[in-house]
Amino acid sequence: MEADTCKQCAQFFSVPKDADDYEAGKADCVLEKEDEKGKYWLSKPVTENSKRCDSFRLKR
Amino acid sequence: MNQMLSAKVLEYRGKTLDFSPENPAEAKIPADELHEHLQKPSTARTKRLKERCRWKHASAGEFVEKGVRAGIERMRYITEAHKASIGQPEVIRRALGLANVLNKSTLVLQPDECIVGYHAEDPNQFPLYPELSSMGVQDFLMSDYAPQPAEEAAEIHKYWMPYSLQAKCQPYFDPTDLRRMYQFSSMEAPPFVSGYNSIVPPYETVLQDGLLARIKLAESHIADAQKAMSAFPWDGTKGLDYIEKIDNWKAMIIACKAVISWARRQGRLCKIVAEHFETNPKRQAELLEIADICHRVPAEPCKGLKDAFQAKFFTFLICHAIERYASGYAQKEDSLLWPYYKASVIDKSFQPMDHMEVVELVEMERLKVSEHGAGKSRGYREIFPGANDLFILTVGGTNADGSDACTDMTDAILEGAKRIRTPEPSIVFRYSKKNREKTLHWVFECIRDGLGYPSIKNDDIGTNQMLEYSQYSITGNGATNEEAHSWACVLCMSPGVTGRRKTQKTRSEGGGALFPAKILEVALNDGYDWSYADMQLGPNTGGIETLKTFDDVLEAFRKQYRYALQMCLSTKDVSRYFEIRCMQMPFVSAIDDGCMELGMDANALSEQPNGWQNPVTTIVAANSLVAIKKLVFDDKKYTLEQLNDALMANWEGFDEMRADFRKAPKWGNDDPYADEIITSFYEDIIGGEMRKITNYSGGPVLPVGQAVGAYMEVGSRTGPTPDGRFGGEAADDGGISPYMGTDKKGPTAVLRSVAKVQKNQKANLLNQRLSVPIMRSKHGFDIWHSYMNTWFDLNIDHVQFNVVSTEELRAAQREPEKHHDLIVRVSGYSARFVDIPTYGQNTIIARQEQDFGAEDLEFLDVDI
Repeated sequence: MEADTCKQCAQFFSVPKDADDYEAGKADCVLEKEDEKGKYWLSKPVTENSKRCDSFRLKR
Repeated sequence: MNQMLSAKVLEYRGKTLDFSPENPAEAKIPADELHEHLQKPSTARTKRLKERCRWKHASAGEFVEKGVRAGIERMRYITEAHKASIGQPEVIRRALGLANVLNKSTLVLQPDECIVGYHAEDPNQFPLYPELSSMGVQDFLMSDYAPQPAEEAAEIHKYWMPYSLQAKCQPYFDPTDLRRMYQFSSMEAPPFVSGYNSIVPPYETVLQDGLLARIKLAESHIADAQKAMSAFPWDGTKGLDYIEKIDNWKAMIIACKAVISWARRQGRLCKIVAEHFETNPKRQAELLEIADICHRVPAEPCKGLKDAFQAKFFTFLICHAIERYASGYAQKEDSLLWPYYKASVIDKSFQPMDHMEVVELVEMERLKVSEHGAGKSRGYREIFPGANDLFILTVGGTNADGSDACTDMTDAILEGAKRIRTPEPSIVFRYSKKNREKTLHWVFECIRDGLGYPSIKNDDIGTNQMLEYSQYSITGNGATNEEAHSWACVLCMSPGVTGRRKTQKTRSEGGGALFPAKILEVALNDGYDWSYADMQLGPNTGGIETLKTFDDVLEAFRKQYRYALQMCLSTKDVSRYFEIRCMQMPFVSAIDDGCMELGMDANALSEQPNGWQNPVTTIVAANSLVAIKKLVFDDKKYTLEQLNDALMANWEGFDEMRADFRKAPKWGNDDPYADEIITSFYEDIIGGEMRKITNYSGGPVLPVGQAVGAYMEVGSRTGPTPDGRFGGEAADDGGISPYMGTDKKGPTAVLRSVAKVQKNQKANLLNQRLSVPIMRSKHGFDIWHSYMNTWFDLNIDHVQFNVVSTEELRAAQREPEKHHDLIVRVSGYSARFVDIPTYGQNTIIARQEQDFGAEDLEFLDVDI
């Protein structure tokens, strides 16, 4: 079956249960980016049912 | 080879002084590349960080590095929250807006950094503030830097049109007056249009208490208020006050909780990167340590120096960029960090480290600030050429008991600045004769390396000023003696208290400019601006034919100046009125002890007045008045009508006449004729008229003359002036600096002139350019130290220095790619020279390079 939600993405990291912003199904989407100045990482809140985006990488 | 040091020798007190370099190796460095040899990052890491630094410098209003643009997230989430909170108290809506931004925005982490956090969704972006000024956002929408998607940004901009601070304030002013202010030639636009702002965050409460303790305090105040409201017998004259207070405390709790959660989310990002992306074990460990720090601070009190740097930076981001925009980096940084330095370096009780690790942290903090982008409109980018924004921290000075406040933390801040060589943040050093020599050497080394900072402020003047303003406190709770000693420069050169309460929270208290050169121009033309906007710019005060005496000229100026003052100060206070009602800052309120105690918003509570306004181009106006008095009214060589004809022709065809006006006595030469007129102009009109105004805080408003880059911007909008200046040429580059190239009598003559102005001033920026060979010689420190002591004895408020050769500046104009480390002092801030447009570069080259002759050394009583 083709993965189509954030939950199946390798960049999906569930928010721990003891975190201030914990909600069931909530996660951090952490992306590694690179430009001419170098690498950097971005973290954006997502939910497990969010539709996959162009940066989707299947979790293995 | 054109070597750095000249072979200058000087006879002084029976000795022959030679000015060979203190460091003999420098003799081999070509004069035109000195600055490229001075950088010495303390570690390989800070060297890498500097090499990949994402500068946000602007030149002629355009960002220098490609890819820099406005982000959309802040404007998106603040708008989303605003729509979702209709019906709730305004202060709660502001808190929910902040929380929504913090909860939903994208976080950024970059390699090597140890102080983390950013204020936009990408390290090349910066946020916008549609709730402040619709014009400010419109400016971006029309540019290449518009947030994407542009359609969404346009929709958000449209949404805020009726709700913005600008929309609230505008109806109280005549559109004709506002249009005059929008010209930015005689007056700066009102804060409700510019959105430009200044703040001194009470960092101390965050570092000392932590936000969890602030939440508990607010909760306890709410409980007490509710108890008081339910106590019998009900007293409506007091009980109803609790409603607003309870709302404020609730908003503070929302804001603090959101900030804690946001910081911890940042920590979580570090942990995820350490565990899933980073392969270097050393960096992995470092990231896990940062994750732990972000979990603990700013929620809890800081225990060590890493905690303190991180908590401070998070607080900076919220207060200066996320809750609301504010320029500046106001803090007394050495005092603020000293307890944590002691814990980590001396006691080694937490986050143990040595002094050089502190220096590395300072360098990393400087690079974080260098990457900070500000969503300022084009006009404000133009007046800070070569910089991203104004960032100014303060060190040095004295403690309340009169002892020297310099510490090893002061030295680490200065050493880090010298080593890493970034234009920002600028540093102010509070000079006192009690300062230890070890620290003064670091101050001097930064200056002689050409950083343009520390700029030097007179410690006594600043402290006494805080006590004077304190007398006007409307709450009767102005700065104590101890608090008066805690001052730092709010923005550029204006002192304000730092600490747990009473700090300046908004630029409607102090800040904003007006421009005497343009005001004089229109005073000679019945209020009409013929040279730039071609419109009436002030009241009708009579044409040149009505000015029969020099006093008539002065009075025409006075009337035009009063009009400009009235507009500038009334628009600021009206901004304040609506800031209190729709631009509340619940986070800033939460970290201010006064706001917490009284349940008040930070915009509303004023315990320590700090009113000021910035006259820029005063010396062009003053030199012009001297020339008019001498050549028209004393010598009667020309009539005002002839002068008017020459000015209207931009002096073309009036060469001889222009030469006469250029030769008229000028400020900065200890010339009694010029100095008497100019001193009176400063004290009686510029300061005397301003002092008559009382602002929201109940105190007087006083001048803080500090040109920043506005001397170029406004100079270009100011017609020819009677000092012999052509229309469009730059104006004077300080607040009390001589006009470029006209201070011909040496550095001590400048000091003697400037010392004459004492009354009705808050601060005045003095820009001086010193000789590179002398400053880098073995006698450099002694001469500079004597200069500073004389400056202090003359009761002068401020001085800042360029120490850079014309050869090097010219070389950088020819081959900018080879001169990325060439830093210059513009005015109130430093800039990378190659990022300044040519027009501005030439104004720096044109400044008088002050040499020291034997008579100067004698006046300074230099002991060599």
